[in-house]
Amino acid sequence: MGTYEPIFSALGLRSWCESGEQSGGGPVSMADLLAQNAGTDAPAPSIWEMPFPSMDELHEACAAFPQSRVLTKGLEDGFLGIKDGLSLVLDPITQPLSWFLEGALWLFETTPWWIMIPALLAVVLVVSRSRKLTVFVGLCLLTFAFIDYYSFAAQTLAVIFVCAILCVVLGVPIGIAMARSDRLQRAIIPILDMLQTLPAFVYLIPLIFLFSVTEPKLYGIAIILYAIVPVIRLTDLGIRLVDPDVIEAADAFGMTDRQKLMKVQIPLALPNIMAGVNQTIMMSLSMVVIASLVSAPGLGVLVLRGIRNLELGVGLVSGLGIVVLAVILDRTTKLALARINAGQDR
Amino acid sequence: MNGLISGSLKASAVAAAMAFAIGGGASDAHADCGEVSITEMNWASASVVTNVAKFVMEQGYGCKVTVVPSDTVPAATSLAENGEPDIATEMWINSAPVYQKLEAEGKVKTIANVLSDGGAEHWLIPKYLADKHPELKTIEGVLANPELVGGRFHNCPEGWGCRIVNDSLKQAFDLEGNGIEVFDHGSGETLAGSIAAAYADEKPWFGYYWAPTALLGKYEMVPVDLGPYNDEIHQCNRNTECNRVGKSPYPSARVVTGVTTTFADREPEVVEMLSKLSFTNQQMGAVLAWKEDNNASSEEAAVHFLTTYNDVWGDWLNADAKSKLARLLK
Repeated sequence: MGTYEPIFSALGLRSWCESGEQSGGGPVSMADLLAQNAGTDAPAPSIWEMPFPSMDELHEACAAFPQSRVLTKGLEDGFLGIKDGLSLVLDPITQPLSWFLEGALWLFETTPWWIMIPALLAVVLVVSRSRKLTVFVGLCLLTFAFIDYYSFAAQTLAVIFVCAILCVVLGVPIGIAMARSDRLQRAIIPILDMLQTLPAFVYLIPLIFLFSVTEPKLYGIAIILYAIVPVIRLTDLGIRLVDPDVIEAADAFGMTDRQKLMKVQIPLALPNIMAGVNQTIMMSLSMVVIASLVSAPGLGVLVLRGIRNLELGVGLVSGLGIVVLAVILDRTTKLALARINAGQDR
Repeated sequence: MNGLISGSLKASAVAAAMAFAIGGGASDAHADCGEVSITEMNWASASVVTNVAKFVMEQGYGCKVTVVPSDTVPAATSLAENGEPDIATEMWINSAPVYQKLEAEGKVKTIANVLSDGGAEHWLIPKYLADKHPELKTIEGVLANPELVGGRFHNCPEGWGCRIVNDSLKQAFDLEGNGIEVFDHGSGETLAGSIAAAYADEKPWFGYYWAPTALLGKYEMVPVDLGPYNDEIHQCNRNTECNRVGKSPYPSARVVTGVTTTFADREPEVVEMLSKLSFTNQQMGAVLAWKEDNNASSEEAAVHFLTTYNDVWGDWLNADAKSKLARLLK
């Protein structure tokens, strides 16, 4: 019997407690079984062993008191109850994500390597204007292709490409909105904190109930929700950090809010925004393996295979492949950022 | 002044330590066996097996049991590299080729088929679908009506042994040619989640799963008949190097308890008990179904087994342990 039984008796709740006893016996705990074997009731615990009056402890004392698992089961049942309505709303909103991912994967997979690799190198050259970087990227891509990792790397690139663009397209406006309203900022910051720390699987498995697990949007959502946070935070920061004197001068010139935003605030906040974009890309790459746990194609699949089969070499090489992709994207966006900064300091 | 106080504190600390040592020593006087480490795999039936074994070893044989949470491949590797833990139970040895190598080298002894009927691996459809369309109970029926099973086969994740076999079977049965898209799941969680999601909406589902599991205890599924079992074909299907794939269902999987040879030499009585420790699929299935119905934890499910099947586990014990657990064996 529980430590807290006397309390329930003192409160006169004995009959209510007894009504909760399951006939036929519900689950018996290991402690009770050991007590049965010892043939005595478990001795009253000393003050050092007194347990906290948690739900399970109170349930021990009074069978009608709910156990803590009732809480978790209740949450589960609640979710299953609303999932149809949620699915009706969320499915159409997120469908474009599925289309983009499927389109990008198709593009990166069907384009032959002798078009794809030069195209990627051309993009790198135009964006960064650095021959050294282009040569480095070329060497990396050719190494991937040589060790039979090209298709996996291309799939990962396609997924990251779509997710990073969507993060920027969605994140920058949210950051701007946050910068203009303190209340909105106070409301959104806890959500951002949660998105960065809540384990992805916690919300991904319920999402399987809303969308089919075969939809690419499942892993798309996983990556976007995690990676969108830096660009939002840094856009908000960048705009708030714009020199108030400059804002005053803009007001003195009679600029409208919109003109101020487009012509003064965003251009001056651009270094911070670009830093946010850079971090967003890095964080989406860090989600590659978790995305593969929910059936995303790419290098993450190889990492998982290496982990599960204890093929250490496969795990290491594909992990390094992800690092190399990260380095390529990081250097490219940093050099693009440097060019924007240089353009700024006229 | 301060020296006196700290001196007396030190004396009482020493006295307390001595009391602990003596008190501790007194309980050790009953220990027949020493420290034992046992794996607990991260699925429901393994949890039940480990908790039952732990209870019997601690209460019947006086062992000090440490539970090591683990998984099939890490456990086999740990046995190979470190000779730990002492007992690896619910080893699905088909999924861990390194285990068979260890057995051949004599580092590990397989002492029991802990799931006496063997694990069951099947291609499954939900019961509501089988009731509505009985022709789907054979693979020919499924191939002829792909849209009735949702046009999709849910495959195992990369790294599971069944992935190799399924990839062979999908070629042999030509799933893609018959209009069934093969979807490779990223993890066991999404595979399980897809079954739960399909059951919640009574949607069609067709794919691989294994028993005994809590999932199949909760959601009733019917196996699809893949034809007669052929050992030669199955061995080829299991082998990534073999190309001559063929049509054969899964045999029942050997699920064993393995102990290190050092442990076997150290504790022959405990090993004797463990060699008898086994569950039929019917028993394990009943326990897992009970666990699901009562929203119980693994420990409580083990307790349920111990209280419900006390005629079964009584036979596992030696006379000494039987007397210690006499009250529960009534």
